[in-house]
Amino acid sequence: MCAALPAPAAGEEPRPTLDASPEPTAPGASVSRRVALGLLGAAGAAALLTPGRRRTVPAGRVHLRYWEKWTGAEGEAVQRIVDRFNASQDRSWVERVPVAEIFSKAMVAIGGGDPPDVVGLFSWNVPYFAEARALMPFDDFPGGAELASGYYAPAIERLLQHEGRLWCGANTCYSLVLYANRARLAQVGLDAPPATIEELDAVSERLVERGADGRITRAGFLQNIPLWWPYVWPSLFGAELMEPGHGERPPRMSLASEGCRRAYQWVSDTAERHGRAASRSFGLSWERTMLSAADPFLSGGVAMTVQGPWMANFARQFTPNLDYVAAPVPVPAADLDPARPRGLLECDTIGIPRGCPHPEEAWEFVRFTQTRESQEELARAHCKPSPLATTSPDFLVGHPNPFVAVHEAVAKSPAVSVLPETRAWKATSDLMVQAFDAIWMGADVGTELERVQTRAQGLLEAARERYRARRERV
Amino acid sequence: MSRATEHRAGWIWASPFLVGAVVFLAVPVGLALYTGFTDYALIESPLWIGLDNYREMGDDPVFWQSIRNTAVYTAAAVALNFLVSLGLALLLEQRLRGREVVRAVVFAPVLVPIVASAIGWMWLYHQEFGLFNVVLRRLGLSGVDFLGDGRFALMSLVVMGAWVVGSQVLVLTAALRGVPRELIEAAGLDGASAIWRLRAVVLPAIGPALMFNLIVSIIWAAQVFAAPLVMTRGGPAGATQVFTMSIFQNAFQYGRMGYASALAWLQFLVILGLTAIALRLGRRFVQTEAV
Repeated sequence: MCAALPAPAAGEEPRPTLDASPEPTAPGASVSRRVALGLLGAAGAAALLTPGRRRTVPAGRVHLRYWEKWTGAEGEAVQRIVDRFNASQDRSWVERVPVAEIFSKAMVAIGGGDPPDVVGLFSWNVPYFAEARALMPFDDFPGGAELASGYYAPAIERLLQHEGRLWCGANTCYSLVLYANRARLAQVGLDAPPATIEELDAVSERLVERGADGRITRAGFLQNIPLWWPYVWPSLFGAELMEPGHGERPPRMSLASEGCRRAYQWVSDTAERHGRAASRSFGLSWERTMLSAADPFLSGGVAMTVQGPWMANFARQFTPNLDYVAAPVPVPAADLDPARPRGLLECDTIGIPRGCPHPEEAWEFVRFTQTRESQEELARAHCKPSPLATTSPDFLVGHPNPFVAVHEAVAKSPAVSVLPETRAWKATSDLMVQAFDAIWMGADVGTELERVQTRAQGLLEAARERYRARRERV
Repeated sequence: MSRATEHRAGWIWASPFLVGAVVFLAVPVGLALYTGFTDYALIESPLWIGLDNYREMGDDPVFWQSIRNTAVYTAAAVALNFLVSLGLALLLEQRLRGREVVRAVVFAPVLVPIVASAIGWMWLYHQEFGLFNVVLRRLGLSGVDFLGDGRFALMSLVVMGAWVVGSQVLVLTAALRGVPRELIEAAGLDGASAIWRLRAVVLPAIGPALMFNLIVSIIWAAQVFAAPLVMTRGGPAGATQVFTMSIFQNAFQYGRMGYASALAWLQFLVILGLTAIALRLGRRFVQTEAV
C-alpha cells in the first residue's frame, strides 16, 4: 500500500514523487556506438602515447626492476649506486622503483608470480622469505659462497643467513647509540654522555624542566622518545629476546627473563619518577615530529635519545649548529665494559626474489652493490657504519657522521644484540609495543612480560611446526 | 526486439557488474573461507591445518582485546550516531533561517577522506595545542589526553565517528518529509505535546529509515579501521585495537593470511548475525507499511 504524498507547503521544496515515467529524451542527446568507440579509442591512445610514462631503457639491455623502500636523500644515494652500475656495463639496465610497505608488497608480488628482479627488504623479513624459499640463496650463484662466511660483520652475517644459507646481501646497517646534546649536558656540569644507567638516571632527573602547571616542558632522557624500538631496552641489560636453538633444543622466546624484567622495571621506574601520565603525554606530543626540524632531540625537547646513525644527517640538515655527541647506550654500572659496547643492530637487505625474470643479471647487480666500494659509499651517504667485516682505511676519515666510530664499535661488538630470527617476530614486536605502553602506565612488569612471553612462544612454536610440516611435504 | 534478445541484452549490460562481483567479491570470499583453514603467507602454498586458526583465537590476547574494543565501539557509536543523526534531522526540518547551509555543512564531512579527517581530529584532540584542550583550559579545567589516555581513547574515536553522520541525516530527512502533516496536526489538536507527537507519530512513521540507519551503522561501526589506524595505531596499550586492524596486521604485517582469513570470516558471521537480529527486531517493532 502506498499513501499519497501530501502537497508541499508554501516555501517548501517539491517532494519527490513515485511516478517513474521516463523523461523524454532531448533530440541529439544520444551518442552513437561509433562515436562512443571512437572516444574510447582516442582516450586509450592518448594514455599510451603520453610522454614520460616509461623510463627509457637503452636498446639491447636487459631491463631489471629493483624495488627499494628508501626515498628522499637516502633514495638518491641508492640511485647513485644504480647509476654507477648502469654505466659500468652494457648488458643490463637497473630501474629503481621506490616502494612503500615493501614487506607486504613483495609478498604479494612474489606470491602472485610477478616479482621484481631485485628487492630491498629489512633484516627481520629474512626468516619469512627464506623459510618460504621466496628468495634465491646467494650460494646458488657464482661467487656467492664468498659472501657467506667472513665477508660481513658477524652480527650482520647472522641477520642475513637462515639455516646456514645466505639469502640476502646487506644494504647498510644501523646500530642504536645514545645521542646527547652537549649544551644541555653542560647545564648539569657534564662534558660527556653518561656511560651507565645509574649516571643516566641521575643526569636525566636534573635536566627535567616543568611549566607552571607541572607539565614537562623539557626532559633529560625518556625511553618513550622515540617509541620506535620498545624492545631495545633488554639489550642494555645484556638480555636476549630469544634463546637461539642448539642441536635438539629448539629456540625459545625469553621475553620474561631476569634481564628483560630488569630492563622494563627500569622503564617503569623512569615513568614513575617523571609522572606516568605526564611523561606519556610529553612523549606523545613529539610523535609526529620525529626527524624533522621539530624533532625532540634536534629542537632541545630532550637532552638525550637513543637513535640510529641517520640522526647526524638530520642534524646537519635541520640544526647545523647543534652541539651534540654520541656514545654507546648506557649499561648497568656492574656490566660496564668499554671494549664490549652493547646495543641493538639492524640491517637493510637486498635479495633476489624467487621467480624473478632475470636472476643472473640481478645477481650481477646485487654483487655490484655488495662490493666494499658500493657499501661504503652508501653507508657514508646514509651516515651509517659499514656492514662489512672490514672497512677501507679511509672509511672513517671524512665520514659525514662525526660519531660513526661509535656506531661501528657497537655494530662490530661481540656484545651487540640482534632481533629474534623468527617469522613470529613482527607479531611479537607489536605485543611488546602494547606491553611497553602498559608498563609505562604502571602495569606490573612481570605480568605484562609473562603475557607477551606466552603468546610469543605460542607463535614461535606454531611457526616452527608448520615450517617443519611444509618441509616434510616437500 | 524478441524476448530472448532482450534477455541476452540485459545480461550483456549487467555483465560488467556481474563479472566484477564474481571475480572481485565471490571468488575472494570463497578463497578466504578456504585459506581460513590453512597456514598461508602468500609466498608459499597453503598448508591445511583444519580448525587450528579458529582454535588459536582462544589463546590470542589481541583477539579478545579487539573483540572487546570493537563491541564497545560499535555499541557506543551506533547509539551516538543514532541520536545525533535523529537530532540533526529533526532540527533541519524546522523552519529555520539558513537551514540549507546547515544541511550542506552536516553532509560535508561525508565527502572528506577518512585519513584527512582523522589527521584533522588528531589536532583537535592534541593534548597541548588541540582546540578541545585549549577550551577546557580556558574554562579552568585541566586538559585531557584524549588519544593517549586509555580511558578516553576509544570514546574519542566514537565522538569523531559522530561527525560523519551526514548520510544518515539525509536518509532521516527524506523520511521525515514523508510523515503526513495532517497526522501530526491531528495529534496536536488532541493535545499531544511535542515529545508525545515525536514518540507516537513521527518515530513510528520513520521507523524503516531508522532501521536502515541502524543496520548500516552497525555494519560500519563493526568494521571501523582507518581512524584508529591513523590516530592511535591501536594504542595506548591496545585500548583502541579493533578487529579489522587485527585482520590487517595478520594479513599484511605478520604474513599470516590464513589466520587473517579466519578472523575475517568470523567478523563476517558476527556482522551477519547482528544484522539478522536487528532485522528481526525491526520486523517486530517497526511499522513498515505506510500510514
